Amino acid sequence: MSADDTAGRREFLNKAGATAGVVGLTSLAGCSGDDSEGDGSGGSDGSDGSENLGDPLPTYTYLNNAQSYNPPRHDAINLIANQFGELGFDMEIEVLEWGTLFNRVDVEYDYDFSTWHTFFTIDPVLELGTTMYSENTSEGDGNFAGYENPDADELMDQYLVEPDSDARVDLVHELQQTLMEDMPQMPVIDMPDIAAFNNNQVDNWEQELELGYNSYWTMINLEMQGDETTLKGYWPETLSTMNVLGHNDENKHTYQFAVMYDTLLRLNGDGEFDTEVSLATDYERVDETTFEYTIRTDHSFHDGEDLTAEDVAFTYNYITDNEVPLFSVQAGFLESAEVVDDSTVRVNLSEPLGPFNRLVATQLPILPEHRWADRDEPSQVNVQEPVGSGPLQFDYWEKGSEFGLTSFDEHFAPADFEDRYWRVIPEASTVWSNLLDGTLNYEPFGRIDRQLDENREEDNISVETQPATSFWHCTPNERSGGLDDPAVRKAAYNAIPRTSIVDQVLFGVPEPGFNVVSPAFGPLHTEDVTTYEESVETGRQRLQDAGYVYDDEGLVHFPAE
Amino acid sequence: MSKASFVVRRLLQLGVTIWAVGTALFFLFRLMPGDPTSFVVSSQMTPEARDRIIASYGLDQPMHVQYVRYIQNALTLDFGQSFHSNEPVQDVIWTYLPNTLVLMLTAFVIAYILGISLGVLTGWYRGSRFEKSTVVTALTARSVPTFYVGLIVLWVFGATFDVIPMSGMTTAGQDTGSFLSMVTSVDFVQHLVAPAAVLAFYFMGYPLLIMRSSMMEVLSEDFIDVCRAKGLSERAIMFKHAARNAMLPILTAAAIALGYAVGGSVLIETVFAWPGIGREMVRAVLRRDFPVAQGTFMVLAGTIITLNFLADLLYGYLDPRVTYD
Repeated sequence: MSADDTAGRREFLNKAGATAGVVGLTSLAGCSGDDSEGDGSGGSDGSDGSENLGDPLPTYTYLNNAQSYNPPRHDAINLIANQFGELGFDMEIEVLEWGTLFNRVDVEYDYDFSTWHTFFTIDPVLELGTTMYSENTSEGDGNFAGYENPDADELMDQYLVEPDSDARVDLVHELQQTLMEDMPQMPVIDMPDIAAFNNNQVDNWEQELELGYNSYWTMINLEMQGDETTLKGYWPETLSTMNVLGHNDENKHTYQFAVMYDTLLRLNGDGEFDTEVSLATDYERVDETTFEYTIRTDHSFHDGEDLTAEDVAFTYNYITDNEVPLFSVQAGFLESAEVVDDSTVRVNLSEPLGPFNRLVATQLPILPEHRWADRDEPSQVNVQEPVGSGPLQFDYWEKGSEFGLTSFDEHFAPADFEDRYWRVIPEASTVWSNLLDGTLNYEPFGRIDRQLDENREEDNISVETQPATSFWHCTPNERSGGLDDPAVRKAAYNAIPRTSIVDQVLFGVPEPGFNVVSPAFGPLHTEDVTTYEESVETGRQRLQDAGYVYDDEGLVHFPAE
Repeated sequence: MSKASFVVRRLLQLGVTIWAVGTALFFLFRLMPGDPTSFVVSSQMTPEARDRIIASYGLDQPMHVQYVRYIQNALTLDFGQSFHSNEPVQDVIWTYLPNTLVLMLTAFVIAYILGISLGVLTGWYRGSRFEKSTVVTALTARSVPTFYVGLIVLWVFGATFDVIPMSGMTTAGQDTGSFLSMVTSVDFVQHLVAPAAVLAFYFMGYPLLIMRSSMMEVLSEDFIDVCRAKGLSERAIMFKHAARNAMLPILTAAAIALGYAVGGSVLIETVFAWPGIGREMVRAVLRRDFPVAQGTFMVLAGTIITLNFLADLLYGYLDPRVTYD
């Protein structure tokens, strides 16, 4: 980032907090005296005569969440919009309540720029297949960017059917290169997984790819310190349900069910399948559409009933037959499951799926047939006391107050602690007060805020961070005039002050984004993608090179016909 | 008009008002931008699965069909199932409402006892230093945001002096058992003190100021002079005669305040992590959980309307001068 673009902290934060409601930023559009004098980028710079001016680019609306919903992201969006104004875009910011914003973007496609935290996912193509696939551009289908590229589609299609993992790595690398060249989605910040904990009570936090420090792998590797036997966390709001098939995939639910229910396979901290800690002790791809799993025969559910091959086959068939919405993507690849013998289950696919184990076998919770067989509408069952077979079992649920689990001692990968509870505490200062005095001993929500910044140097507090699979994106709507041109999108990406957002809004905790597939994905990620300098001036030059023209007010126009 | 026909007419009005509120709620929530399924479904769900969920909620039906079904169910107090938890709305309400009532009613009782008493005294000792300082305190209590007072209380008495619990209704890490056993435990009372005190501080200003102004009005009436002429003690005049007659405006204020208490205080519930209906109501609205939002708002509206009606009836009983014309 050039020195010219580095805003002073005071000025930067003033800009960040400056806007609310619908606010026009036209006056900021690169026309300040300092700019025109200093770097030659203001005022009439770039304007080469009104005869070359076509229509101006339309006014762009950047949808922003309310500050109360996510303060740092609210500030970051204001800053980005401000920099787009410097670039020569006529910008408006519209602040919306989250539900309205999400609907405007994800369902109605009524926006020009949007930003949020991408969803946690175990495989990058699973997410990209929804948001970037050309067929998904109809309203509500997921491709809110409006991006269409048959080459990218082809790469995603090949990836999903390719059985060889090395070949899949090559394909996903090529996909990243394509996407970072076309720029349908701008990675702003690589958000990290964060473990903040009281080191007098618990230690040895190991991250896992999908669920970070709230994963199964983390929980079975934690080491309690001193006499402490309880893992004590919080969440800012209550859980909604105890139905493992009826939740909405929000983290607060996923984190619970991941440790209450086993899956056929589990990943270790290196992102590899680890049969030492999985229900399946062996697995084999029999052919393109058939997998076989050897499962443990000495395992049981929390209610004492044996977990058998019948339960595994039942689970896969039950989820498929009932078209459970939560697992509709996975069910789409499943044909049937059958018991081969007491310890072997065969899963038949309806079509080839290369990363089947990653996308399905690590995801579907194994259900006790004796509890679920009579339930017709699995996603709408009002479950009060869930019974799984994971290392932690249900203890109590005081709705709105607290949720408690106890260790399942007979599990093949037991946790080191005896109990775990999550208390509902909406107020962040209370959480940190409790963390410091040991009332809580870990912070599962992973907020990056002033409280974290102020307390991370305390002797009894430790903070671990690792790259996560998700990032803050800035997505232009290619249905809007001008934004269908990659040159405009790339110029916009040049203008995003990624490093400043990290340093001044997010306390230096995360890293600036540069790729739509995060480094957390290990070998699936590549650094060999087109990178973009953080510089408004570079963006302006890029626009001019592409034929765009600036008027006297510093606003960008299409070239004349 | 006779008392009976007054009651019948007011009951009819009450029914119409509740129907109007219910109807407004139904259309308001459906006219809100935002798709309720956005909060229920996974981002990685197929469009077909999303459609199935919409159908299962009945949201694929025309609006008038949904409305007729809603009214039919509401007549039997059935507000359907939560989109998020699949629990019947009644269960959701019964989970959170008692927590709110314990907190709000405790605060309400403290606030009205203190507020009325101080209102009587400030009215009686008009112009004194006591009156001025009490009125300033009452105005401050009404003006400073409750969440701000709550945070200061937590910081001073919780984080600094460690004399109050920082969050929740009970100490963490234990199954509290039944509601009755919880609310009768010492642990619960310890958790109740701070949020109830903060709320009472806020509530208190209202009855205090109303009572003070009502007292001043009553004290200027002739019968007070008659009382004095009869040789009654000042204390007897203040409490038995003046305060009694000044109480009527408090009745309406208390009825409405009590109704609002059923809606909880989302700010206090948030600051003190109190699992009440206020937080749940806001959560339901933000997540477009129509059944829960409608159900909780209807309980709130129904309570306010009913208590107002009862206050009207009580007015006539307490003040024989009130007629039913």
